Amino acid sequence: MHWTVSRFQLLRGAKGVRASCWSSGARRSYAFTTAGPPVHEVFNTRTKWLQKERAASNLEESRIADYLKNEVAVRLCERLLDIKRSYPRVLDVGANSCNVARALTAPNPDSDPNMPESDPLVTKIEHLTAAESSKTMLYRDADEPFNQQINMTREVLASQETLPYEANTFDLVLSSLGLHWINDLPGMLSQINNILKPDCAFMGAMFGGDTLFELRTSLQLAEQERRGGLSPHVSPLADTRDCGGLLQRAGFKMVGVDVDDIIVDYPDSFALMQDLQAMGESNAVLGREMGAIQRDVLLAADAIYRELHGNEDGTVPATFRMIYMIGWKESEDQAQPLPRGSGQINLKDVLESK
Amino acid sequence: MPTRTRPIQKFAAAVSQCSPEAAVYGKCIVADYNSVHKDKCVAEFMKLKDCYLSQKASKKK
Repeated sequence: MHWTVSRFQLLRGAKGVRASCWSSGARRSYAFTTAGPPVHEVFNTRTKWLQKERAASNLEESRIADYLKNEVAVRLCERLLDIKRSYPRVLDVGANSCNVARALTAPNPDSDPNMPESDPLVTKIEHLTAAESSKTMLYRDADEPFNQQINMTREVLASQETLPYEANTFDLVLSSLGLHWINDLPGMLSQINNILKPDCAFMGAMFGGDTLFELRTSLQLAEQERRGGLSPHVSPLADTRDCGGLLQRAGFKMVGVDVDDIIVDYPDSFALMQDLQAMGESNAVLGREMGAIQRDVLLAADAIYRELHGNEDGTVPATFRMIYMIGWKESEDQAQPLPRGSGQINLKDVLESK
Repeated sequence: MPTRTRPIQKFAAAVSQCSPEAAVYGKCIVADYNSVHKDKCVAEFMKLKDCYLSQKASKKK
């Protein structure tokens, strides 16, 4: 909302020479929120890129560890069933190994046994652009059969923080587990809002809130007891209630946010860490301690993990809290809320008569 | 190509043999996890570490 206003003011003031300058393409292709405090750097983007490249270059392990990303992509795409539209151009931001494309080509996830089998979601989509900064990750599954079923372009981004697309380009923007390593999340959401056509939706899924709280707490306790201090091992994550505000700040309308906990059981905390590494989701927080975690700390953390969070059968749970968001780009012909006080029916009467 | 066992897997295998010691250490920490300080449970930890080291040594033979 904020930037829209300032852009209108700019356009109104831009006459003559300035106007031709705007139309010649010198304009930035993405939007900034108004100048504010400097962007906080939290993650090392180069480290993250390296981790993804390395993870994806181990084909076998990387595919095995894709269970979480595939599941989340399916749950995200399932939500498209609620929107009765088709989409000429779709963008997948932070595509990882094109898990969204895979989910879109899968048979209808929510099939009703009483109804004839409906087509996979990909029939609603004419063209998908999968954008990701890690080339190896992006092209990992380029030879898989699902690529034949979907009209898709893979695009390697120079930076995961910048979307090189023109304004009003896409009819739908999806993002499955691609936003939690973005330093400037408000800026990213503004860019997404900018490249959407009016009255088109952004749907995203990201890790948030209590994700990996078991690992976070046991590593903290272990480091505190073994070494007498802490260093960050699990990323700071956006909270559920932050996301609504973030979407609104980026100019989205009719915002919806909901959460979903996925709990995965592992034989021990080392298996969890190995899988995180194979997903390309290892620690990339700036200011973390370089090098591997000390063995003493690992040994202590595993014992604490079991004692504090362990299941009765000897496995250890890991919680992944998924935050799903949907927001619509503002448009004049969009359904608007009615003015206050214009209601004709008393909700109390309706509820009491039941 | 035979798959190489990663060091973390060897580590995990040795640690898994020490669950009684690990439970003792874990209980010591969890008993009052709001006031953990350095070497709070050092005796329990050393027992756990000794067990791990002996497991590691016996695997090598």
